[in-house]
Amino acid sequence: MKRVCIDVGGTFTDCLVMTEAGELHAFKTPSTPTAPATGFLNSLEKAARFFNQSLKALLADVDISVHGTTLATNTLITGRGAKTAMITTKGFRDLVEIRRGIKDERVSLYNFFIPPYEPLAPRYLRYGVEERTLYTGEVTAPLNENELDEIISQLKKEQIESVAICFLHSYANPQNEKRAAELCSQKLDGAYVSTSHAILPVWGEFERFSATLIDAYVGRIVSGYFNSLEKQLRESGLGGRLLIMLTNGLMQTVDYSARSAVYLIGSGPAAAPSGALYLGDLTGHKDLITIDMGGTSFDVCVIRDREIPTTTERWEGDHRLAIKMVDVHSAGAGGGSIAWIDALGLLRVGPQSAGAEPGPACYGKGGTEPTVTDADLLLGYLPADYFLGGEIMLNEELARAAVEKVGKPLRMGAKEAAEAIFTTINTVMANSITDVSTKRGFDVRDFVLVAGGGAGPVHAVFIAEHLDIPTVLIPSYSAVFSAFGMQAMDIGRDYARTYVSRVDRVDIDRVNRLYDEMEREAKKDVESMGFPTTDIVLSRTAEMRYTRQFHQVESEIPLGELSQKDVTTIVDGFHKRHEELYNFSMPWRGVEFITFRLKATVPRAAITLMKIKSGSQNASAALKRKRTCRLSGRDVEVPVYDGARLLSGNVIQGPAIIEEPATTVVIPERYVTRVDDYKNYLVHRQ
Amino acid sequence: MATIDPITLATIWHAMQTHCKEMRHGIDRTAQNYLMAQLHDISVGIWDAAGRTIAMPVGLPVQFLGTAFAIRDLLKKFGNDFAPGDVILTNDPYHGGNNCHLPDWGFFRPVFYKGKLMFFTLARGHQEDTGGSYPGGYFPNGFDIHAEGICIPPVKLIKAGVENQELMEVIWNNVRWPEGVKQDNYSMIAATKKCEQRLIALLDKYGEETVMACLDEMISRTEQAVRAEIRKIPDGVYCGEAATDDDGTELDVPVWVRCEATVKGDEMTLDFSKSDAQRKGFINSVYAATYGNAIAAAILTFDPSIADYHNEGSMKPIHVIAPEGLVVNAQYPCTVGASPVAVGIQVMEAVLEALSKARPERAMAAWAKHRGHYVFGIDPRTRERYVQTSFDYDGSGGGVAGYDGYQGISALTSMGAVTRGNVEEMEIRIPWRMLKYEFAPDLMGAGKWRGGPGVHWEAINEGLEGDIATGSSDGDEVLGFGAIGGQTCPPCRTYIRRGEQEIRVKPHRLVHIEPKDTIVKLSSGGGGVGRPEERDPEMVRRDARNGLISIQSAREIYKVAINPVSFDIDFEQTKELRSKTAPKWTDLGKENF
Repeated sequence: MKRVCIDVGGTFTDCLVMTEAGELHAFKTPSTPTAPATGFLNSLEKAARFFNQSLKALLADVDISVHGTTLATNTLITGRGAKTAMITTKGFRDLVEIRRGIKDERVSLYNFFIPPYEPLAPRYLRYGVEERTLYTGEVTAPLNENELDEIISQLKKEQIESVAICFLHSYANPQNEKRAAELCSQKLDGAYVSTSHAILPVWGEFERFSATLIDAYVGRIVSGYFNSLEKQLRESGLGGRLLIMLTNGLMQTVDYSARSAVYLIGSGPAAAPSGALYLGDLTGHKDLITIDMGGTSFDVCVIRDREIPTTTERWEGDHRLAIKMVDVHSAGAGGGSIAWIDALGLLRVGPQSAGAEPGPACYGKGGTEPTVTDADLLLGYLPADYFLGGEIMLNEELARAAVEKVGKPLRMGAKEAAEAIFTTINTVMANSITDVSTKRGFDVRDFVLVAGGGAGPVHAVFIAEHLDIPTVLIPSYSAVFSAFGMQAMDIGRDYARTYVSRVDRVDIDRVNRLYDEMEREAKKDVESMGFPTTDIVLSRTAEMRYTRQFHQVESEIPLGELSQKDVTTIVDGFHKRHEELYNFSMPWRGVEFITFRLKATVPRAAITLMKIKSGSQNASAALKRKRTCRLSGRDVEVPVYDGARLLSGNVIQGPAIIEEPATTVVIPERYVTRVDDYKNYLVHRQ
Repeated sequence: MATIDPITLATIWHAMQTHCKEMRHGIDRTAQNYLMAQLHDISVGIWDAAGRTIAMPVGLPVQFLGTAFAIRDLLKKFGNDFAPGDVILTNDPYHGGNNCHLPDWGFFRPVFYKGKLMFFTLARGHQEDTGGSYPGGYFPNGFDIHAEGICIPPVKLIKAGVENQELMEVIWNNVRWPEGVKQDNYSMIAATKKCEQRLIALLDKYGEETVMACLDEMISRTEQAVRAEIRKIPDGVYCGEAATDDDGTELDVPVWVRCEATVKGDEMTLDFSKSDAQRKGFINSVYAATYGNAIAAAILTFDPSIADYHNEGSMKPIHVIAPEGLVVNAQYPCTVGASPVAVGIQVMEAVLEALSKARPERAMAAWAKHRGHYVFGIDPRTRERYVQTSFDYDGSGGGVAGYDGYQGISALTSMGAVTRGNVEEMEIRIPWRMLKYEFAPDLMGAGKWRGGPGVHWEAINEGLEGDIATGSSDGDEVLGFGAIGGQTCPPCRTYIRRGEQEIRVKPHRLVHIEPKDTIVKLSSGGGGVGRPEERDPEMVRRDARNGLISIQSAREIYKVAINPVSFDIDFEQTKELRSKTAPKWTDLGKENF
């Protein structure tokens, strides 16, 4: 049976098929944003043609399909979500708009000229209902069902499509929320109903409510898409399981995902780090920085000692998203990023992007702003005749005219300006890497840079040079990197329970009961995904903090029945982790447990990457042509290699270019590239 | 002189900003006191060895924009006696500390490179306690500064990496909750250390000469940009004034801050000489604090596209005059406890009012006043003493030319750098249960761009008896200004509801509370900008629909007739209403209002 991973992006749909033998085959087709299921099926049809099968025969032969999509992210960013209402505890309906008084941190302290916040549910669609639960879980006021009925009839009148139900302290006792959801589902036919205790069962109402509101906002569209996708796939002959890639690096059934749409925000990029981890294992590296440079965004993830980091600190646009996500940091930098001159005469690049429409000037689709792709073309890095394997012809004259727009005020020629754009965007990306790593106190120079995305291999080695990173790994599947990550990851889910207690007063039986409950739930879920429970691998963590701190540090918890003795080990681990993260620890201070977490995974199927033929160090047989490139201010004749003809063991001395159908690798002077057995490019500084 | 390319310039510049933000992030994640960790009552920055301001991306102006004065005094006091690994602590407004009030403890770290003093970095934050008569630092009736808490002049808490244990013991022995304060102190010290590491790495990478050349270049570019902004203001003298309700000692007598902004060519002088004399009560501001607020207010009116760059260069063309002995330049041993709020807010308001007249296209109105209070009591669940405060009770931002006031943002002197707490977090931490926390309709200044909404906040005491100090609040009597025809912020009110009784509590008071007392706060929103009858009727309709303004206000203040059931605009009636009051009004439905 085959396993298929499909990542639907804004521009391209990437499909990666793993055969029975564990071999991978990649297919790239255009996305169809108006009917995403169509693009999904098109990519499968392309794959079926490759295997000389009908789509039906291919689908009959697939046991697991994993699907990542930008649908939820795009729905939120473009503001095309459902007409959403919110029902909350009476007296508190503005908490999601007051937003803890936060001014967007990306706006300077000294700038007051900013538009007010637009919440996803406007105030007139936010209703308070009489009900109250305390932090102890005690219900001091049951849900007033008469009031709720009145609200529901208002919602009907307003033709609401989605409802977020958000009550105070529902994480401690969801009784009132559950009842309200039940009544809404019964009486509001077809509405998407989201409850805060189900979406994010932890304390802190602003963060919980905000996540729930986002869920309601994108949920109707996402669930509608999943339902129609599954239907079409089943009709086309899919018999196997369809799993959805979630933003926390785990996977879920379509049914579950359709009810927790917020976990689809950032679903695709969350998979990339798993791909990097796999390649790190293959090449013997534990500390990795993965980058994925596409058209508009640049995603970074720092993996230290094989650990894929997660965060609960995310903002999506103006909205706080406190669900646990793979900590992929996104910056507005990509092939489409536009260059401009700021108020103080400095060259800036991005975050505005020319996007797919009109795209960079050199695409000839009407774009006139200078973009990174235009600069890359003028510098000789991109082939005008072999961009995406020749699917798009690039126009150098249009690129030059665009780049001159910023060149003139800087008193630079087109090529000089192109190089300035190239260096500036690399600096932006390098800073974005530093930002993520420095916040954790890591030195980027200790890491291997793993480069994915269509534009990644053009810029990666230059970014590495800027940051003094000695080694860059450019995977053979860099152009379909997220889909590769989906193939390379374990299938799993996670669970959380809040129990706030000082470590010295913790009721260890209660902790054991919580884990028991979560583990039973996990087993049930794994079974429902069609895996034997014997395959489950469990891991536990707890969010802990020093007494009276406000933020938690995630520490490891041992498996099995916990005893008082385990608490000491856990606390020692916490002190160590705090020191690692923040430069100090305080063994003299009390410590608290906040949230206990469980992760249940089923190990992935073994992948056998296809080996390429081996050859000598001499790569001259793959030499395709020569091209003039601008490197460090000089025009240099650079050999261009055909990636398809390279052999394992080939060594290429920079400066050099390797052309692949879906990407171009640029190797500057002072770097040397070795091709490995699986056609990954390992680039080292000399 | 090193030659600098634009890329290195941008890189070094942004690195400085990033290092500051990283310092703040570290404190944010590890501190234990509500004000610092949760509400971000912290400031961070980098200055060079001469005290020039290099980077000041985030903080409260009163805490850090006047830090150059402190650094010059440090240099005077210690001369060459600085070493790598030194950490200097001070919270003193006087004696060379130049600090705004005692709860804001500042940790300075000199940064050396190859044996040479290059920079100072500072992390300053509001401690859980600083001693004195009452917890919290907002005690309205102190005899002098010593009643407000422990005064720590600039002292080396850590000398070349070695902690001065005895000094630490003296300091921590003089505060309540010493364990918590100790934890926060270590959090701040660790953050300055991180910044030192980053600065040294930057110097290693680019070399001292290049780094300093880039900083000089950025300061000079910023100065030119600020001068260009000032040139856009017509030469002249512009006046603004604002008052705090009283000084907490001489009750119900407002204390005035007056600013004369004189613009001449590319320089600006902010002269506070006509302000009231310093008072016995705790509303006095030292010069460095006044300077910080005044500079911040002036900067706010400049083009936002230079907002990311402010540094020493922004300050050079702006002069701040505040004669000694006035409420804006208090002298030892004057009390200063409330000065970040009162008269700190008034200093900013006076400058903004003056400059809004000077540049209507950049006008902005007053923000909602800070409505803070401190509760001290005993938590029956733990039998431990607690002190509670937050920014939750505050209204919103004021309107600006072009946008309505930002919702929920707290007090002008915070500039949006502080945040609010969570209801659930508060109910877990202290024995109070929240009853209401919502926008209050019609409680904002109307305008073409109205103020952000006011807030209605109620909570019931489920603990034992205790006290409440309303020192950190203002705005019952003297109202925040509206700009270019916009309305002022409406008055705020605080009550204690005890059974049937509603007992009004004014700002700057200290009152007793009983179990089951409910604190009720009606905090106004921000002021408006531009005449309300020029507001886009569609925006008026939206506000009415959202219940932020009443149908009656829409009609009487905004002159827009709205159907109370359908919320449709009656354009005919609106046209008539507006024709009476707004002669400019010509054609409804177009974008010219």
